[in-house]
Amino acid sequence: MAEPNDNVSSVRKAIELAVLLALLGVFVAVSLFRQWPFGLKGVALAKSIGTIIAAGLTLVMFSFLYRDNPLFKVAENLYVGVALGYGAVLTWRMALREEVYKPLFMAPTTEALYAALLHRTVPIILGILLVMRISRKHAWPSRYAYGLIVGWNAGVGISLRTHTYVLRQLHAAIAPLQAAVATGSAAALTGPWFLDVFFPFVAALAVLIGTVAVLFYFFFSVEHGPAGKAVSKVGIWFLMVSFGASFGNTLMARLSLLIGRVQFLLDDWLMIGK
Amino acid sequence: MAVPLAELRRLAIVKHVIYLLVAAAVAVPLIAHLLPGEFEPTPNARKLFDRVEALKPGTRVLISLDFDPGSEAELLPMGMAILQHCFQRGLVPLVMTNYPSGVDLARKIVEDAIDKSEEYLGKDLVSGADYAFLGFRPGDVNLLLGMGENLKGAFQTDYYGKPTANMKALAGIRSLKDFELVIDISSSAWVELWIVYGADRFGFDYGAGVTAVMGPDMYPFIQAGQIVGLLDGLRGAADYEKLLAQKGRGMFGMTAQSAAHVLVILLVLAANARFIFRRVTGKEEA
Amino acid sequence: MWYKRTIPLIVVLVAGLLGFAHEYVPHPISAEFREEMTTGFRIIGGFGLFIGAYSLLHMHVSRIRKRNPGWAYSAFVFVGAAAMIFLGLYNDGSGPLVDPDPGELTGLGWGYDYILVPCNATIFSLLAFLMASAAFRTFRVRNFSAALLLGAAVVVMFGRVPISEAVGEFLFGPDARQVFPKAAQMLMDYPNLAAKRGILLGVSLGAIAQSLRILFGIERSYMGGGD
Repeated sequence: MAEPNDNVSSVRKAIELAVLLALLGVFVAVSLFRQWPFGLKGVALAKSIGTIIAAGLTLVMFSFLYRDNPLFKVAENLYVGVALGYGAVLTWRMALREEVYKPLFMAPTTEALYAALLHRTVPIILGILLVMRISRKHAWPSRYAYGLIVGWNAGVGISLRTHTYVLRQLHAAIAPLQAAVATGSAAALTGPWFLDVFFPFVAALAVLIGTVAVLFYFFFSVEHGPAGKAVSKVGIWFLMVSFGASFGNTLMARLSLLIGRVQFLLDDWLMIGK
Repeated sequence: MAVPLAELRRLAIVKHVIYLLVAAAVAVPLIAHLLPGEFEPTPNARKLFDRVEALKPGTRVLISLDFDPGSEAELLPMGMAILQHCFQRGLVPLVMTNYPSGVDLARKIVEDAIDKSEEYLGKDLVSGADYAFLGFRPGDVNLLLGMGENLKGAFQTDYYGKPTANMKALAGIRSLKDFELVIDISSSAWVELWIVYGADRFGFDYGAGVTAVMGPDMYPFIQAGQIVGLLDGLRGAADYEKLLAQKGRGMFGMTAQSAAHVLVILLVLAANARFIFRRVTGKEEA
Repeated sequence: MWYKRTIPLIVVLVAGLLGFAHEYVPHPISAEFREEMTTGFRIIGGFGLFIGAYSLLHMHVSRIRKRNPGWAYSAFVFVGAAAMIFLGLYNDGSGPLVDPDPGELTGLGWGYDYILVPCNATIFSLLAFLMASAAFRTFRVRNFSAALLLGAAVVVMFGRVPISEAVGEFLFGPDARQVFPKAAQMLMDYPNLAAKRGILLGVSLGAIAQSLRILFGIERSYMGGGD
């Protein structure tokens, strides 16, 4: 499909380049004027320069909204590399240095070294086997490591998921109905009928029906007959309402992040009000 | 089917106009530093606030800040507000994180909350006595299980290197079972892991702060009583600040949030009004 | 071959049974065993870094070698990774610019705060613009389900912001300030709850079934390809 960018004329490109250079000049001028890194040293200088770079990267990322451009691509790839490097450093610090390098190569005593070898040899061998997944011909030894990880997590997950996500949730699905019937029966003689009796009962029943309908919608093992299709339809309605709520909340979250970035540009970069 | 270039150009212009409107809706209230009008905090935020209010002065509260700077916009104001509330009530917050990349952010939140609270209370807050910042320990869920048996064993020193064995802030705390309330602020699965490996196992009351994306997913846990109170996105932070009668980043973000939401709603309604009109009059829209 | 397929399946089964059973053993040896396994997984997971790094870097090396469109940008991946690794390792993470101090800014922290975080947060905040634009261009009430979705989205979006209270008062009087927030809350408390619980139960039951399939060797996707 043709995109508007494909046929950008050379005149337009020249105009865009001129505007870009002008904006770059404005950015540098504003940054130096507001941050004023001259005369700063050490941490203060690093923070000032860092703020300028962060603001520049933020604006470059926002330039994607105009159109995909080389600056954005540079920033995007830089981000990928920085994320990889950061993850590598953290993994070295948290796992490899603490659990492999220090116990084996910086053991304070021979006993400590033997203890480290006893406890860490098997995981190190499994870790090396894990890396063999990279090879096309000799990937099969990695199955031992993957099998251990996958099997352990599968086993641990069974009991925990059953309790927290199934049993407790099933109880919570039924209990309000039971409570509504119990309190409703008592309140029917005394309190306001709608608020204390009718509404709690109907609400609890509706939630239970909705839960069952949604579960039934996802049950694909047998073909749904006419009654099954009707129940699935009800399930779809509940799902649509839930997806609408999720959309609203997701938009709220993304806008909050945008608000955060704008607050950074205003408070930390431009220092408006300071 | 190829779309004509003129139509593509029209759509591109519409797209950019929308972007400018969204940018203006967000930026103008922030530049003008506008506060929202009166609003009532949500019931879930109020439940968490009331649960903290109900704690007696001197009670230890465990607060886990399980997020990194990527979620700072929504979750940092929550962390600040809850910590300030704890200090104002005379509670003893014990702060930790399960995110190795979130340690510096957690430390910054603790230090900023202390600065604000010292100003409010008119006295200094002492690390190790009035609060403790435990930092990060590797172990994932195994750390929680270890804390459930011996918290001081899991955190033998705090973040600053002080031994926890005889620390005043941890007096009376042997394990997670000794807490009345634990609060987790997270943008990830840690919210649920604290239920699975913490609240359900060790029986403490559990409050949560999450990003708005995760908010709807928490309702089954709220209704089941597994979460006693919930802060949901920037609105949740604003609610808590309102209950504390303070003006923080949550409150200042609400006007921009209102403007942007109203803009999106109007755009969607206008587009649908045009769609329905064209359908009714027989001119189908692509 | 039995050592390529059968032994890994036995490893899965034994690990899974141990993972399941140790939860029910109150003896301290169970906690020690779990501690050993967690340390072991941390070490194995550490080696997983090499797989991730290899995959990413191999992709970009290929792109550069084959001179694919946009190949020059891949160089910045290596620049960024090398810079962060240097900052993270030189002077134990403090970097060349600042003195090491737990409370001060380290070299690694600088790279994280001023490069990684802005890029990360801004990329996600771009979604706000894209969602607004997409909602305008594609969110149409074509049928009843779409109407429900749109209606719920509008109710939640409006009810969750403070301005809805002022609008409620303007439209329906001072006693009606909570009309829209309450509508949003009821939508979350009832139909949303029902759907989310249904999804949670379904996903959890599916995950339990999948775990059992893995333990009994029916599900073998973790084994990868080959014989």
